Amino acid sequence: MSTTPIMTVTDLHKTYGKAGSKQYEALKGINFDVNAGEFVGIMGASGSGKTTLLNMLATLDQPTSGEVTINQQPITHLKGNQLADFRAKEIGFIFQDFNLLETMTAYENIALPLTLQNTAAKKIKPAVEVVAAHLGIAEFLNNYPNELSGGQKQRVAAARALINEPAMLFGDEPTGALDSKSARELLDLFTTINREQAVSILLVTHDPFSASYCQRILFIKDGKIGQELNRADLSRKAFYQQILDTLGTFEQ
Amino acid sequence: MLTKLAMTGFQKRWRDYLVLFSGLIMSSAIFYMFEALATNKTFLKQNTGISMVGMIFQFGSVLLTIITLVYIGYANSFLLSMRKRDYGLFMLVGARKGKIGQLIWLETLLVGITATIVGIIVGTLLTIGLSQLLISSLGLTLHHLSAWYFPAALTTLLLYVGLFLLAGFFNLIALTKTPALKLLHSNDQPNRPKLKPVRQLVEVILGLISIAIGYWAMANLDKLQMAGIGIALVTIVLGTYLLFNAIFVWLVVLLKRLPFANRGLNGFTLSQLSFRIRNYTKILSIVAMLFALALGAITVGMGFHRQVPLMVNGGNAYDMGLVNTTGSQKAQIKALNPTTESTYRFKVGKKAVYYRASDFDQHPFITMEQAGHNQLKFTVKHNTAKQLLKSNASYQLNSLQGSAQQRLRTQMLSDAQYAKLTQPEQRLTVFATADVTAHTAALKKLATSQRHRDTGLQGEMLGGRYTGYQLINSMYSGLEFMGFFLGVAFLAMLASCLMFKILSGAAADQHRYVMLNKIGTRKAQLNGALRKEIAVLFILPGIVGVVHVLFGLKMFSFIMVGSPYTGIWLPFLIFAGLYLIYYLITVQIYRRIVLQ
Repeated sequence: MSTTPIMTVTDLHKTYGKAGSKQYEALKGINFDVNAGEFVGIMGASGSGKTTLLNMLATLDQPTSGEVTINQQPITHLKGNQLADFRAKEIGFIFQDFNLLETMTAYENIALPLTLQNTAAKKIKPAVEVVAAHLGIAEFLNNYPNELSGGQKQRVAAARALINEPAMLFGDEPTGALDSKSARELLDLFTTINREQAVSILLVTHDPFSASYCQRILFIKDGKIGQELNRADLSRKAFYQQILDTLGTFEQ
Repeated sequence: MLTKLAMTGFQKRWRDYLVLFSGLIMSSAIFYMFEALATNKTFLKQNTGISMVGMIFQFGSVLLTIITLVYIGYANSFLLSMRKRDYGLFMLVGARKGKIGQLIWLETLLVGITATIVGIIVGTLLTIGLSQLLISSLGLTLHHLSAWYFPAALTTLLLYVGLFLLAGFFNLIALTKTPALKLLHSNDQPNRPKLKPVRQLVEVILGLISIAIGYWAMANLDKLQMAGIGIALVTIVLGTYLLFNAIFVWLVVLLKRLPFANRGLNGFTLSQLSFRIRNYTKILSIVAMLFALALGAITVGMGFHRQVPLMVNGGNAYDMGLVNTTGSQKAQIKALNPTTESTYRFKVGKKAVYYRASDFDQHPFITMEQAGHNQLKFTVKHNTAKQLLKSNASYQLNSLQGSAQQRLRTQMLSDAQYAKLTQPEQRLTVFATADVTAHTAALKKLATSQRHRDTGLQGEMLGGRYTGYQLINSMYSGLEFMGFFLGVAFLAMLASCLMFKILSGAAADQHRYVMLNKIGTRKAQLNGALRKEIAVLFILPGIVGVVHVLFGLKMFSFIMVGSPYTGIWLPFLIFAGLYLIYYLITVQIYRRIVLQ
């Protein structure tokens, strides 16, 4: 595995509320790196600041201070078209509630990032088919989201996130709305993508089972990284136990 | 407790309620405006003199009622969709269905009645403003127009309250029969646009046949009389709906297959359109009808306006005739820069007015004579004394004379005979300006001074184009006014219908645009998609509306002298401008809702 960081996070702060009024500091100085091809999990209880952190990393929100770089590019000050293009080319998202456009078929949803870049029509179709075959949704391409199961929807969302070959894939509780079988399948899929295509993945979750698929887990508490776990050569089951133990003591 | 909950829901969604209220207020205001003319029988009688107009207004009332019905249907489903979640929540916390039913009922009626009353007030104010604007800018004279007309207000109130009572019942059944959980998660389900070639072909054919029948009925109104208007209304509405239904679905599916759909957000826009295709076909056919009515009304109004000077110019070649002009009158005439001016000398006997024939031979008297059947085509004739005496149009000289001479015969004498007469010599000065409508103020001054000197010159006795203008203008003012007034009213109704429909879908679109933003869509692309989607919804009914108008204008060929199609580009241009403004406003509001 290479050790060049694909993402660096330096002294990230986020304060809500205007100066003078009642303020709330959600992030109190976060530092970490994600190496290229790494599968990292961020865990924490509700209100720990993990969603806030994800929003900063994924350019959905701007930090009060601190810097994030993805692929050597500082992202915290991107605006307008630069920001839009960065999102379209460098990062992919998978959300808990799928965030598919229910007005479009699975195919159209997956192809959307490419059509946005005005990619030639000839290139779009094979690209969609390749990624759909990879994620096992080739047969559903002409269905609308409301005709798909939760697991299928999430795989469509994953296909849309991956079609631009992003530098980073962000997942915000991607298994949150799935049954255990679909969740397991999706996480297996993430592992495969991560290994075979060397896509760096950052997963935010409070579910220890999902987290056990990661190589490294950062625990957030009250806006700071409280602890870090490395899977190293542990089996997934053993790592799962370790996470449970850590959570047991960490949240006390 | 529940009432309090309901109120908080209201406060939270005031923006949506604002859309709802303004839509309803606009609708009832326009309905009132229309009724203020349609139910005011004295106004119609006094200002048109054409009995058909009253009937046309009654058909208009029926049509507007149908449109209002659909409109309130939309408003109501908008209200229902806003409240579904809240009512579902009330049910979850254990509110009784009866209690919730009461709340729904109350809310629907309250919204309806408030909006209607405000609408009537707004309608009255609009009527005052619009009629004053039209009267001053078109130089109209109107009688018995009252902005506040009680029967109209009553009709409006009764219709709207009745419709809202119905809507309340509907809401009651719809909401209390649905399980709480379904109310909580009642997201729109997409319509999968399907091509059913046979069915669509049948729809297209039926649609075309109905429209053809409608157009034929309008063209043959002289034979069919009132039945023609009824037939045309029903068949054209039906045909428009069928055509939209068939062609719209087909068009979207077809466009999606083109490479065009793979560029930028075009695919998204097409999907958006097909997503609500069923809803839109109804509203689009209504909008197309309103568009045709509004544009037609303005075109007809303008046609009448344009017709006035044509008819005036055909009546006489001169603006006015003055006997024994004073120095100041001469100066006033000179100031008008007349295109022709002649003075004829005459002496008045007991039975006849004696003119010097040589005056006429030197300055031929101009008459206007109708050419063929078309009442607005005239030939200009220059008459010597002899020609004038033979001419059918010699009355045109007669009407220009003073009051005393108009009762007498006209005779032309040679210079010798004329010299023998012992009566004092008088002078008749006739003149014409380039455009009588442009000089009405100065001409009025001249006319008043002449009427002071010749008290017999009452009313129409002062002949010429100026008097003709006053007569014809007052005759056509009512028709012109109705044309413009209804045109603007229908346009406002159309635009608020369309805006309302589009904006009521905006809330549901919000998350789609947020999502597009998250996956990296440029702002310019988002704006472009939004503009395109709304533009399609504006342009489609516009095209159909224009076609309807082009055929519909045939109806007026029997009230209007000359072709109703001449100079048609001007009202079309004005209308396009107004329509464009509505489009831009809709885009603006929509953008504010979905892009924030």
